[in-house]
Parts: sequence; structure tokens; C-alpha cells
Amino acid sequence: MIKIDHLTKRYSDTLAVDDLDFEVKPGVVTGFLGPNGSGKSTTMRIILGLDHATKGQATVNGTRYAELKDPMREVGALLDAKAVHPGRTARNHLRALATSNQIKTSRVDEVLEFVGISAVANKNVGTYSLGMSQRLGIAGALLGDPGCLLFDEPVNGLDPEGIRWIREFFRTLANEGRTVFVSSHLMSEMAVSADEIIVIGRGRFITSGSVNDLTKNAEGTVLVRASDHDKLAEIVTAHHGVVHNTNDEGLTIAGLSSDEVGQLSFDAGITVFELTPQRASLEEVFMDLTAGAIEYGAQKMDSAHD
Amino acid sequence: MTNESTLLAATRSEWIKFRTVRSSIMGVAVTVLLTIGLGVLITTLVRTHWSQLSPLRIATFDPVSSSLRGSLFAQFAVGVIGTLLITSEYTSGSIRTTLTAVPNRFRLIAGKCIVLFATMLILGEFVCFAAFLIGQRIYLGVVPTASLTNGAVLRSVVLAGLYLALLALFAFALGLILRQSAAAISVFVSVLLIVPIIGLFFPQNWQNDFMRFEPSTLGVSMQSPFAPSNSFGAWSATLILLAYVAGTMAIAVVLFLRRDAGSNQ
Repeated sequence: MIKIDHLTKRYSDTLAVDDLDFEVKPGVVTGFLGPNGSGKSTTMRIILGLDHATKGQATVNGTRYAELKDPMREVGALLDAKAVHPGRTARNHLRALATSNQIKTSRVDEVLEFVGISAVANKNVGTYSLGMSQRLGIAGALLGDPGCLLFDEPVNGLDPEGIRWIREFFRTLANEGRTVFVSSHLMSEMAVSADEIIVIGRGRFITSGSVNDLTKNAEGTVLVRASDHDKLAEIVTAHHGVVHNTNDEGLTIAGLSSDEVGQLSFDAGITVFELTPQRASLEEVFMDLTAGAIEYGAQKMDSAHD
Repeated sequence: MTNESTLLAATRSEWIKFRTVRSSIMGVAVTVLLTIGLGVLITTLVRTHWSQLSPLRIATFDPVSSSLRGSLFAQFAVGVIGTLLITSEYTSGSIRTTLTAVPNRFRLIAGKCIVLFATMLILGEFVCFAAFLIGQRIYLGVVPTASLTNGAVLRSVVLAGLYLALLALFAFALGLILRQSAAAISVFVSVLLIVPIIGLFFPQNWQNDFMRFEPSTLGVSMQSPFAPSNSFGAWSATLILLAYVAGTMAIAVVLFLRRDAGSNQ
């Protein structure tokens, strides 16, 4: 289990992490979601003892990372796949890591095999593609068979097959009872790979919960196509509904459920051709949640991607 | 007990890292080549020109330090090895991976220093003894030679090797402070080459006081059986160099413990 306890990190003039306070539980995949520059990586670096907290602290299984005896046996991390000496082979890189944590070297071949880079294990890491480097990073994280795993933007650079592989891999790790903490700036990615999501923006906690919770609380809309759109819009407005959109396709109504819209239409004698409740997409929820919390966003954010 | 075993683990890990990159191997090869190769060149030149040397040169000639002169060039190779041992971790970003494996920063630096000092001491002693013995062999019959059975001679050869190992540590400390290969190597070279040139602009009496504190002058003292003029004796020179290394290393370690390692600068 990872515990973030009123964590604050200030770099000379910017507040990268602002009083974050949450727990990451074992047995589920926890997504750590926020726009680029929102403090995800900083938080992960502090968990791993790479950066010092300005205030508060982060602990893994109740202990600060720097005080763990053989840390790779408790925590596996992949922060930056390219953070490897380019002139060393993958096998030697892993052997050095294993030795430092008193992990037997036979484990090196096991993890190389597992991530599927055995064939290139004796090549210099500098020749690797980003996807291969990601796999090497995952191999390093798994060396000590740790109960707690951290991945910073793991799907970056992976091909579709690799992305599917890594999602199943997270699921397996969580099912084995491990703590799996995965950061991403892509809501869509988190929606398919995470059970629980923690959302931050500008270093501040925004919300957390299961994927379902997050979308449930978001305001849904109702799409209606009926015989008399103008009349229906009038009635809906009178009943405190909000008409977002009127066109030939129909009305988009917020503030009323589909049942209520159906009943109102029936009472007014309007024939309904189509009545569709529309849940807010995860991307929309994410954009709503982090609106105003985007440090390096384009001025007009009409696309939810990146 | 656990602390000892984990320092051992960290040291063994650093040893694997040290010998699995090409820059270390190249650095070792260059050190061998410069110390022994230049030693052969210098001693051969002395032998062939011996009859043309002035009586003063002949009277003050030192067969020991002249055969070890190559090590004063090899000090740059050793410096590059020491610097890269830590700056390559910063330029590649692998310092983050390293620190997740060994988060105890003091232990990490201790492990690196043990590997660096041990390898450079063995290397330094090997090349200096080889250069000395080959040099005396070349001098034999023409130029007066020295023997290791003489205590002062043995000391000179041993300290010449130690000098290289200490300079490697000094360069490592500079690398840990500056975290950039080019910057650290520039400063290292400046200290050894540029500072003495600046010293030349000082008045003569200052110059004598100033220059003997200069690392490569200390190196010459360490590898001479008799103290050269305006220089420290061999043991005093060794202690002063040790103080430089310890002081620089202390600053480096304090900075390393305090700094964030996550973001590159």
C-alpha cells in the first residue's frame, strides 16, 4: 500500500504538488490521472525518494522508500524507460540492478523472458526502440517480485499489441493482490485499464473513485427526437430542464431524466420518436474536472486528446 | 551486519556497472598506453641524448620520476574515468534507476568510490611499476638507474600509483558536484593545466608558494625520491592531495544528499 500524507513539493517558484493526501490500495489497478504538468511524475518521484518533499511525506507499506532495505523487493517502478545507460546491454543492466538488491541473477533471465526481450538482451540499450525500452523498464520493475508497482505513463511508445499486453499485465498483477499505481494523462486509457482513479490538476487533488462513480456523478443528458421540438423545448424549460441543443436531429436536454422527458412529452401529447439517455463520456468528465487546472493547455480545448 | 551486506551489494552492483561500459575499458587502456608508452618514449630519449646533457642536468637527474612522467599525462584519462562514473548517470538519466535500486545515497556514493578507488589504485600501481621497471631497463648501461630495494625509490613508485587513484576520486567528486561530463572534465583539466599557467603571472616569490600547492606539482613531489625545489616532500604532498580530495568529496556528498535527483537539473 502507498500512502501519500499531505504531500507538498515546491520547486524554486512553482508549486508542483499541493497538499496531496490519498492512499493506493492493493488488489486493484489505481489510475493516477491528470493533465501534463499536473504533478503526477513529481509525486511518483517523491514516493521513490528521488525528490525530497517540501512538506508531508509518502510511505510504502508504512516505510519511507529511502529506508527500505532491499527496496526492489517491495517496490518496482518504471518512471522513464530511457533512464538507462545507452552503452550497457539489457542483461548487464538488469544484473547490476539485481545484485544491488541481493536478488539472484537467475531472475534476470526470467524477467527478460517474461517481457519478451530475451533475443536482444545482449544488445546495447542505446539501440532499443522506446517500446523495447519500456519492456526493459518493466523487466527491471519486476526483478524483485515486489508487492507494489509504480508506472509513469507506461503506454507511451507501445504499439497496440504492447498496450493490450500491458493492460492484461496490470490486471494480473492486481489480481495477485499487488498494489498497482499507474499514471496517465489519457482518461480513455485509464477507463479501460484502471479500477480506481485519482484525479489531480495543478498539483491539487480533484477527485477519486471508481470509473463508474466518476461518470455517475457527472451530469448526463437526454437526446429526444419528437414531433414538435419547439413545444417540447418550452415545456422542458418550464420544468427546470435545460435545452442545450436544437437541430433537426432532436433536442439535447440536461437536468431531467429520460423518464421525466418521456412523461412530459406524453402529457403534452407530443409523439416521441427517439429518447436516448446520454452519459457523459469519461473524456468529458475529465475535461470538466480539470478545466482550469491545465497548466500547459491550448487556449481552446475542444479536443479532449492530449 | 545488514548495513555491511548492503554496502557490499551496492559495491558489487557498481563493479558490474563499471566494467560493462566501454568508456571504462577505453579509459583503462589509455591510462596503460600513456603511462607505459610515454615512459618508454621519455626514457629512450634520455638514453639516446645522455651524452649531450649538461653536467648540471646529469648531476640532478632523477631516474625514478623521469621514468614515471607518463603518469602525469595518464592523470587526464584517469580523471575522465572518475568523472564519467557519475556524470554518465546524469546525462543518461540512469541516476534515477540507480537511486531506486539503492536509495541510501551515502551507500551509493560509498559503493562507487570503493570501486573507483580500488580499480584505479590497482591500475595506477600496475602502470607505474611497469613504467618504472621498463624505464630502468632502458637506462641500463648508459644512464644511472634506481632500484626498488631503496626505500625512497619504492615510495616514489607506490605514491605515483596512489596519485592516479586519488585524482580519479577528485574527478569523481567534481562530476558529482557539476553533474555534467563536459563541465566536470573542463574544471578538472583547468585545475591541472590552467591554474599553473595563471600562477606564472604571479611575482616569483608568490609563484613558488602558490605552485607547490598545485595538484600536479604535488604529483611530481609524490613520485620523486628527493623533494624537488620549491615543493613539498612526498608525504606532505600526499596529505595535501588527500585533503583536496576529502574536501571536494565532502562538498559533493552534502550536495548529493540534499539535491533532488528526479529532474535532471
